[in-house]
Amino acid sequence: MNVNGRSEQFPAQPNELLVERLRDGLGLTGTKVGCDTGQCGSCVVRLDGKSVKSCLILTVSAAGSEVTTIEGVTTPGGELTGLQEALREEHGTQCGFCTPGMVMALGELVDSTAGGEAPTEPEIREWLTGNLCRCTGYHSVVRGVQRACEAARQEV
Amino acid sequence: MTAVTGETPTTGSGLLGQPLDIREDPQLLRGEATYVGDIDLPGTAHMAILGSPVAHAKILSIETKAAEQLPGVLKVATAADFTDVMPLPCIWIPGGVESHFPPHPYGLPGARPVLTGDAVRHVGDPIAVVVAETPRQAHAALAAISVEYEPLSVVTRADEALAEGAPQLHEAVPGNLNAYWTCGDKDRTDAAIAEAEVTVELDLVNQRTINSPIEPRGAVGDYNAVTGEYTLYASTQGPHNHRFLLSALVLGIPFNKLRVIAPTVGGSFGTKGYLYPDMPLVLLLSKALGRPVKWVDTRTGLMNSTVQGRDHRQHVTLAGTRDGRITAVRATSYANLGAYPSTIGPGVATALMGRSISGMYDIPAAFCEVYAAFTNTVSLGAQRGSGRAEAAFLMERLVDRYASEIGMDPAAVRRKNLVPKEKFPYDNGLGWTYDSGNYQLNFDKAIALSGYADMAARKAEARTRGKRLGVGLATYVAICGVGPSTRMSQEGMLGGTWESANIRVHPTGEVSVTVGSASTGQSHGTVFAQVAADELGIDPDTVQVFEGDTQKAPYGQGTYGSRSYSMAAPAVALTARKIKAKLVRAGAVFLGVPEDKVVYEGGKVHEEGNEENSKTFAELAMAMWYGWGLPPEIEPALDETTHFDPPDFNYPFGTHVAVVEVDELTGETEVVAYTAVDDAGNIGNPKIVHGQIEGSIVHGLGQALMEIAEYAEDGQLISSDLNHYALPRAADVPFFVLDKTVTPSPHNPLGAKGAGEIATVPPAAAVVNAVVDALSDLGVRHIDMPLTPEKVWRRLRGEAR
Ligand code: FES
Ligand code: FES
Repeated sequence: MNVNGRSEQFPAQPNELLVERLRDGLGLTGTKVGCDTGQCGSCVVRLDGKSVKSCLILTVSAAGSEVTTIEGVTTPGGELTGLQEALREEHGTQCGFCTPGMVMALGELVDSTAGGEAPTEPEIREWLTGNLCRCTGYHSVVRGVQRACEAARQEV
Repeated sequence: MTAVTGETPTTGSGLLGQPLDIREDPQLLRGEATYVGDIDLPGTAHMAILGSPVAHAKILSIETKAAEQLPGVLKVATAADFTDVMPLPCIWIPGGVESHFPPHPYGLPGARPVLTGDAVRHVGDPIAVVVAETPRQAHAALAAISVEYEPLSVVTRADEALAEGAPQLHEAVPGNLNAYWTCGDKDRTDAAIAEAEVTVELDLVNQRTINSPIEPRGAVGDYNAVTGEYTLYASTQGPHNHRFLLSALVLGIPFNKLRVIAPTVGGSFGTKGYLYPDMPLVLLLSKALGRPVKWVDTRTGLMNSTVQGRDHRQHVTLAGTRDGRITAVRATSYANLGAYPSTIGPGVATALMGRSISGMYDIPAAFCEVYAAFTNTVSLGAQRGSGRAEAAFLMERLVDRYASEIGMDPAAVRRKNLVPKEKFPYDNGLGWTYDSGNYQLNFDKAIALSGYADMAARKAEARTRGKRLGVGLATYVAICGVGPSTRMSQEGMLGGTWESANIRVHPTGEVSVTVGSASTGQSHGTVFAQVAADELGIDPDTVQVFEGDTQKAPYGQGTYGSRSYSMAAPAVALTARKIKAKLVRAGAVFLGVPEDKVVYEGGKVHEEGNEENSKTFAELAMAMWYGWGLPPEIEPALDETTHFDPPDFNYPFGTHVAVVEVDELTGETEVVAYTAVDDAGNIGNPKIVHGQIEGSIVHGLGQALMEIAEYAEDGQLISSDLNHYALPRAADVPFFVLDKTVTPSPHNPLGAKGAGEIATVPPAAAVVNAVVDALSDLGVRHIDMPLTPEKVWRRLRGEAR
């Protein structure tokens, strides 16, 4: 498995969830666990570019894949991505627990709009339905995504 | 938020009220914050808790041998291992000194033991724990513990628990009645109702809800055998309070041998201020095993163990004149405390709710009585807007019912009964004295902003699309700034409710602010720095804020009831003023002029009328560190502390307007517009408050539309995960129209009122009012929450309830 650009080799555990491997096995604790049922989206990572809930995927099924976690998005203490910067400007995070999962899920949306049409507000809200946030009420997140998509669109 | 009305300047340099960027955000956005689940101490063992699978039973035997043999298992413990540990205290005894039951050292009879040994009283009631090398091993071993139960009958509703022949939860509490509590004037209210031209009544269910912070709770215990010190890392909103409760009351260890650390906490909304069995357990087991012990809850575990909220069944009455003047309000409420009294649950169900029922209205007679009962459900605690949301709901439903009864516009009825501006401070006759307000201004602003006057046309237009449009109003007053310690003692709170701050100025001119409070996502690091920098006239980037570690921070109760900015921030401001005062005295020495000729301004002292003769803050900091040439009456260094205990509470308020569309075919309710005008007094950082208001409204809409902790008859919690407990998602809400009015509170030096949760108070009432409005021509007078499509669809088809 390739995690954040680094090749990781370990003995396969048949019943191990990807999120367990990331957090407990590889110490990548930026990915969070908020539920037992795939509902909250705190654990979203990118698997070969697509956002997935890492609490619903067995590690073995990710074998040979490219996994990106929040730690792979920036360097520690380093610069924020366009999306993160936009979320910062809109204060799209409060307690921050849902945030890494949101950044990973929304990153896919922002990437996909580069050079194309910016998503509409309902489209952004629809995209966000896999991620629960109890603090922000989503408004600042939606505004942040609008801002990031606009920036991404104009860049190309 | 757009316009600002009646803003009053503070004494500072103008930093307050500015939307400074939130310094916590970059770390959170990079996923670099450490939550309790991310703490990894060397040698950590992992704990799992066996919760009861049944709601009510006697425990006949517990067999743990098989579990002990399993791989990785280090210890299995039951109640028998903790016979010398006291039960978890309840520190809010309804009625306080006037309580119908005398205060008990552990709060009340029926207090929860760390593990239950005699009987189980709700699904999830902790019976045993396993500590193992890995979390998986610990969880696997739970299945090997066999418990023999003798089933008992189950009761899950407060009113039923009080009925003759109901199952009994605690031997020490016959009849399941924890407290009967009243406020207001019963005789006067009864008489006003008897004489009234018009009376309306409603039976309301304020359903049980689950706060559901996205981070479940967790705890790590670490005992140091060399020093005899215990360290608890916990997802807590009150580390000092937990230290007090655990050391003195539960474990019987000296206060100064326990250190509690709150790392980054992933939301709380009231639930993480309570004392739970896992906290003493990780400490005791760490000592027993000589290793750190860690426990992190699952979502299902949270649903079955973390305190739940609301849960009142009420009969409420309003009396008034034909022309819309309210003359009395009366409420009888059956509150469900769950199986055990939680840390402050009984106070939430009584005082916080009952004293608030008259809301923004000037009502000559009011009375509330609460029967708080034990049942076979999870313990009751606070829930964002706790008590105040329940109160606003009953009052605002009643006002709409009354308006429709007398054929008057609901806005006109409200307008007519608002407490007039001249009447502040206003004694509401139920125990609260509102500090300040301009309710008319606030109300009118919300009405204007929401386009209330155009609703008839919008209703007609919606009909052409197969939708029924409804508009609902709700106003509220939320008691915040908990609290004045003496006043809290009268409410029955066993504990100091003041807040502290320490400011230390370093020789280099940088500043450390340390507070007793602890954030669960409220960006304290930003706003407390803003307060200190504003007072001292310095760059906020030079101010660092520390909190959440009881070994380093002065005492404070923590973050709850929207009290950070009106309790902890004033402590910061007052401390900064002490620093300033000392700098003026020292400045006289350094500038060589008399003290009354020294001016502190813009982060400098200078001689009055001579700005040349001046010293900057950084220069003064260095000089105070050297301490050279100071007269004996001025101590060197700049290190001051304040303990802030306000003279009384503060009372934010507001008006919300919900516009909904109900689909004629499916019964689905969509909130299509939402206007909120809240008044939280002077605001420190609008970015923070704005975000909290948006989040709060969504939380309130959740209760109205989808959230319910549903118990089956046998006491099983049906909604025990996020597949069965619906939380609002991004697509469930539109953008809101937000505005504010500003009425400073006289009860703290910042003029602040609570803000964090206040906007959770009115949305449920506003939305139910809107849906009832949409369905009123069908004869619908009330629908119980949550307003699920099925429930609404049945009413559209004319079914009774
Ligand atoms: S932890 Fe994976 S969706 Fe909640
Ligand atoms: S920021 Fe707290 S859950 Fe989203």
